[in-house]
Formats: sequence, C-alpha cells, structure tokens
Amino acid sequence: MSIVIAYSPDIYGRAALEHALAEARLRETSLVVVNVTRGDSLVDSHYAHEDEVQLVMDRLKAEGVDATVRRDVVPDIADAVLDVAAEEHATLIVVGVRHRSAVGKMLLGSVAQRVILDASCPVLAVKPS
Amino acid sequence: MPEQSQQIPQTTPPARPVVDSAQYGMAVFLAVAGAYVVDNGTQMRSSASKDFLPPSTFAYVVGAALLALSVLLAVATARGDTPDAEDGEDVDLAGGSDVRTLVLLAAVLSVNVFLIELLGWPVTGAILFTGAAWVLGSRHWVRDVAIGVALSFGTFYAFYLGLGVPLPAGILNGVL
Amino acid sequence: MDLLLDGFAAALTPTNILFAVLGVLLGTAVGVLPGIGPAMTVALLLPVTYSVPAESALIMFAGIYYGGMYGGSTTSILLNTPGESSSVITALEGNKMAKTGRAAQALATAAIGSFVAGTIGTVLLILLAPTVGPLVVKLGAPSYFAIMLLALVSVTVVLGSSKLRGFIALFLGLAMGLVGMSSGQPRMTFGFAELSDGIEIVVVAVAIFALGEALWVAAHLRRTPLEIIPAGRPWMSRSDWSRSWKPWLRGTAFGFPFGALPAGGAEIPTFLSYVTERRLSKHPEEFGKGAIEGVAGPEAANNASAAGTLLPMLALGLPTTATAAVILVAFESYGLQPGPQFMTQNEELVWALLASLFVANALLLVLNLPLAPVWAKLLRIPRPYLYAGILFFATLGAYSASASAFDLGLLLVLGVLGFAMRRFAIPVLPLIIGVILGPRLEEQLSEALDISRGDYSTLWGEPAAIICYLVMALVVAGLVAAQLRGNRQDTRTPETEKDEVHT
Repeated sequence: MSIVIAYSPDIYGRAALEHALAEARLRETSLVVVNVTRGDSLVDSHYAHEDEVQLVMDRLKAEGVDATVRRDVVPDIADAVLDVAAEEHATLIVVGVRHRSAVGKMLLGSVAQRVILDASCPVLAVKPS
Repeated sequence: MPEQSQQIPQTTPPARPVVDSAQYGMAVFLAVAGAYVVDNGTQMRSSASKDFLPPSTFAYVVGAALLALSVLLAVATARGDTPDAEDGEDVDLAGGSDVRTLVLLAAVLSVNVFLIELLGWPVTGAILFTGAAWVLGSRHWVRDVAIGVALSFGTFYAFYLGLGVPLPAGILNGVL
Repeated sequence: MDLLLDGFAAALTPTNILFAVLGVLLGTAVGVLPGIGPAMTVALLLPVTYSVPAESALIMFAGIYYGGMYGGSTTSILLNTPGESSSVITALEGNKMAKTGRAAQALATAAIGSFVAGTIGTVLLILLAPTVGPLVVKLGAPSYFAIMLLALVSVTVVLGSSKLRGFIALFLGLAMGLVGMSSGQPRMTFGFAELSDGIEIVVVAVAIFALGEALWVAAHLRRTPLEIIPAGRPWMSRSDWSRSWKPWLRGTAFGFPFGALPAGGAEIPTFLSYVTERRLSKHPEEFGKGAIEGVAGPEAANNASAAGTLLPMLALGLPTTATAAVILVAFESYGLQPGPQFMTQNEELVWALLASLFVANALLLVLNLPLAPVWAKLLRIPRPYLYAGILFFATLGAYSASASAFDLGLLLVLGVLGFAMRRFAIPVLPLIIGVILGPRLEEQLSEALDISRGDYSTLWGEPAAIICYLVMALVVAGLVAAQLRGNRQDTRTPETEKDEVHT
C-alpha cells in the first residue's frame, strides 16, 4: 500500500510532490517517487539530476515519510508509472498536469491524461498554484 | 603521440588472442575488390603508342595493394588484432551492433531508391522520415507523419523554387 | 591590401552576410547536436552548390567549419561528450570547470579564444597565401605528383592508431577514384553506364560521412540521458582574462602550423597546448580540477588549426581534414580546382572567402556569447528525429547530385561500406582524400611522363619533388624506428605484436 507520484524536476512535478507528501502523511502510507525517461534524446529535462533526487529524498525523510525512488530508462513513461502503481498496489497516483491545446495533445501526447484514463486506482491531478 | 597510447584495449588477455572473425569478412571484401580492380586492368588496352601511362597501370598498383592489404588484415585478425570501433558523442559501444535497426533502416532506404521516381519525392521522402523515425524508436505516429510530410513538401518546394532543382513529383505530378 | 578591401566589399554584401550568418548558426548547431559534425553538415549541404553562387556557398561553408569547431566545445564543456577528436582535450578541464560552477567562464574563454585564434589564423592565412601562391605555380607535374603522394602517405600514416587500416582506407579510396572513362575506355564501371563519368564525389562524401555515420550511431544508440550542467550567459572576470590571454596566443601558435601541415590536424596541437599550459601555469594544482588555461589554450589551438587547414587547401588543393575534404568537393562541383593556378586565376573569389572568414569569426563571437543557453536546448531533440532527419537529407543530397535513383542505390551501398569502416576502425579521411586525389595523382603522373617521353627519372628531377620524397622517407624511417624501439623494450606484450602487424 503506497502512493505513487510521477515526478519531474519542474513546477508540475514539485506541485505533485507537495500534494503527494500531504496525502502520504494523512494516510500514513509510504511514497514511491517515479522519475523515468525514454532516453531518446541526449538531454531530457524531465529526468532529474542525481543531486535533485537526493534533495527530494532528504526532504521526504525529514518530513517523516517512508519513501523510495524508481528511476529507469523505459519505452513509455505513462506505462512505467502505471506498472509501478500496479506492482506497489498503489492506493493513489499523483500527477502534475499542464494546460495543453488540442493540437499540442495530438502532437506531444499527454502522460498525465493516459495515467488518469488507464489507472486502476484513483488519480490526483495537481496544477501548480 | 596521444592516440598511440590509447590504441590497445587493456582487457585483451595476452595468453589467447581474441579473434574478431567478422574482420575476415572485411578481408574477403578487400580481396574481391582487389581482384576486380586487377582483372579490370587486364581488360584495358593501351590505346596509342604515345600513351606513356596506360590506364591499366594504376589499376594494377591499386588492385595489388588491396590484395596485399587483404592478406595482411587476415593475418592480423588471426593474430588477435581487434578493431577499436569508433566511439562518439551519442554512441554506446557496450551492447554491440543492433542488427535489426540496421537492416530495417536499409530496407526503408531501399524503398526510397525504388519508389522515388514512381511516387515522387514528397511521398517517398515522407515515408523515409516517418519509417526511419519509427525504426529508431519513435511511437508518436501523428507527430512523425506530420514532421515527415512537412519536411518532404518543404524540401520539394525549397529545391524547386529556391535552388531551381526539380525533384520528381511522381503521382502528385500536376497537383504540386 | 586593395585585394583584401575588395574581398571585404564582396563579403559584406547583404546576401553574403546572410550566408555567413546561416553558416555560423548551422555550424554551431550541428557542433552542439550529437552525432553530427561539420564534415557531415557540409556534405549534406552540397546540393546548395547547384544554384547558389560559388562565393556565397563557400562563405557559408567556411562559417560552418568555424562554427562547428566552436559548437563542439560547448557540448564538451556542458556534457563532457567531445564529439570531435579535436575537442577531447577541451572536455578535460572544461567539464571540470562546469562541474564546479564555472561553466559560464569556460564557455566564454572558449568563445573568445576561438575568436582570437581564428582571427590571428586568418591574418596568417592572408599573409602567407599570396606568397605561397606564386611559389607553387612554378612547380611542375613531377613536384605536384610528389606533394600529393606525400599528403596521401602522411594522412594515412600519421593519423589514427592502425597503419594497416589507414592504408586499407586509402586504397579503397584510390580504387573508387579509378572508376570512370580512362583513355576512352570504361574502367571499373561494373557495366553501369551511370558510372562512366566516375563516381559522383558528392555521393561518396554524403555516403561515407553522413549515411555511414548515421547508420553507425543508429545501431549503437546511447539510451541513458546525460546530465547537462545548466549554464547562463558566458562571461569572464578580470582574473579569468589575465589567465586566458597568453594560452590563447600560445594555442594559436601551436594550432596554425599543424593545421597547415598535411596530416597535422587538430589533435596534436590541442594536446601540445594542454601540456604546455599545464607546465607554465601559475596554478598547476588546478589542472585536473578545472583550470581555465586548459580550456583557453586547446580551444585556441583547435580554431587556429582550422584556419591553417585552409592554406594547403587553397594553395595546393590538398585537404588535410575531413571538413576541408568536403569543402574541396564543393569547389569541384563549381568546376573550380584549388591548386597552383587557382589563387591567381580566382583572385576575387579567394579574397572574398578570406575576408568572409573574419566576418564569420566576428559573427561567431557576437552570436554565441548570448546564444549559449539556447544551443543547450537543441540537445532535447529526440534521437529518432535527429537521425531520421540525417537519413532524409543524405538521400536528398545524393539524389539531387544527378537526379538519378542509381545514385541513391550507390549511396546505400557506400553507406553500408561507411558503416563497416566504423565497425572495423578503418579511418574515413584517407578514403575520401584517396577518392579526391587519386584521379589527380594519375593526371599529374601522366602529364610528367608525357613531357619526359616516358622517362621515369623525371619524377625526381625537381628539387621540390626530392624534398617530398625525403620527407616521406623520414616519416617512414621514423615510424620504423619507433616500432623497433617499442619491440626491443618489451617483446612479449600483445601491444607490440599489434604494432608490428599495423605497419
């Protein structure tokens, strides 16, 4: 039993992190931070630096939440998040969402949308304030 | 010289040389190429008496050198000479060559060779880009096709209007 | 001087400035992008030579050459991935600097050092080119034959680790150069009428540099993303300036002469510059941890050698680097033959090109200092698009060379050869130089023998030729001596065994 968060090192990921942290303390469950990349470009800005991951983990530990991190190179990010959720028997998935136009969605796809539609547990969609 | 010192992978065990048998293939290729060059040289006649350098001379020299190099490469291979395959910014040599990707890319390129004149560049160019992107792991169909079509039509008009080089319009002849 | 001013007048027309900006931007972009170098870019852009005027196209290619050198250093510093062998040394200290939060200074010293070296290099080029020009016009066919032979041998022997593989590449190139009509008969045409004019050299260049490379990288794609170090706008403090200016000048002094030598290249001078700076530095303890001198010197050497490369290319028609080889192909597709008569017959073009080098250099500085953070964004392009794009433009370039599907088939065959060469560590430079120089070698030999009525002794009848053969003998003797010494020191290790086989 745990909460899975799809993390990226930007305002969306950080917003998701805040809410996931609050939920984890409320429900007294552990937290699984998923930060994966397709690894298809030389640099992926959604893939966090080792240092940043360490900072996040330190913060979660300081807040008293039992947290683990999953980092990997995967063929599909939404599938990876859903797989981790299934493995961990997640009770909640937290994703950050951004506004995206119809054309943008068609061209760029949306990880959040696929997670929301395909997840077998409740999904908390968070917008940065 | 700096590159001399990096020449040999230190992992090669000195006792039994590792033989890169694929390298024999390269040696065979060189031998065939050399034989063809020499054979081609023998079929050339020296045209005029004032021709001090008959066209066959260079062919003999180059062909003989290729044959000799083929032997040297085979000997070197047998003695455990392994190539340090080319490294690069975006290259990961740990896994060995991905033959599937290579064959599929060659197939995509061949399709273009045979169909370009029939279907025209705007069509085959788009197929080429989309196909290659798919082989290389992209799965965003809509985006791949959109970029492919934009590139092929864009280059078609850029070459026609900008450079004055007409690319084949193929089945879209008259439409474009 | 008047000639130079005329050159500037030609280089500063709006069209040509536009082409220079385009070249510099493209060059930097491809220098930054993984898997694409300046040689590949110029190869992919060869189709523009079919309608763009020679002047503009060559100005753009010069911009790409200089820009590519600079762009390569950006990724070396920010990502520790030296794409070109010439920026390996820059990565040593540059990436360490970036890791300690001095990325902006590393980028600045690289950019300004490149500008200083490029400018001094171009001045040297302008001073030397007119003096070399008249000298080489006096050379006869035997000397020219000897010089080309020297270039071929030295490129093959000096560069790369394996001499055996160097010669394999050279003779494969020479064999391709044989294709075509000779004395009115088809030679090596495999029965294809399309080959009777010889192999289209644009196709060879695109196949070996672009397609072969793209296939090679595609078969070995790196999957894990690298960590990029964020960098703001490059800038330097007063102490950075005072630590950088001497290395810039010394680096230039190493770079230019090596660039001008056949087979000199950029690897040796960047290495020499690094070693020198480490020895002379007042902060030797910083070396290995991010010393600014270790970025300033090699980067200057790198760009000065690019300028030096243009001297033998313009004066003798000898390409000494891959990019110079492809630029030479561009000259040839205009029907221009760099070499003895070229400088005097095409004065306007040469001076416009030289003047545009200054322009390109200045543009590089003006554009790149503010744009560095933008360039880093290019690294986010997904690889499938990057390499699919290379295949797309390679196909386009080869097809437009003669508008025949036959050339596309040839492109694929030669592209597979290019892949195999990378697999078996066979260097590509000797091959491309062999293709370019092979036919001219034969032509000069034929001319020399015609004049001497078949007497081969004419080949060593000119002083310049004798010097070339002596240098060749020295190079070969030096190699043999180095080999023997190596063998004597330790005869049992596999290393020496390998060396032996290589010769």
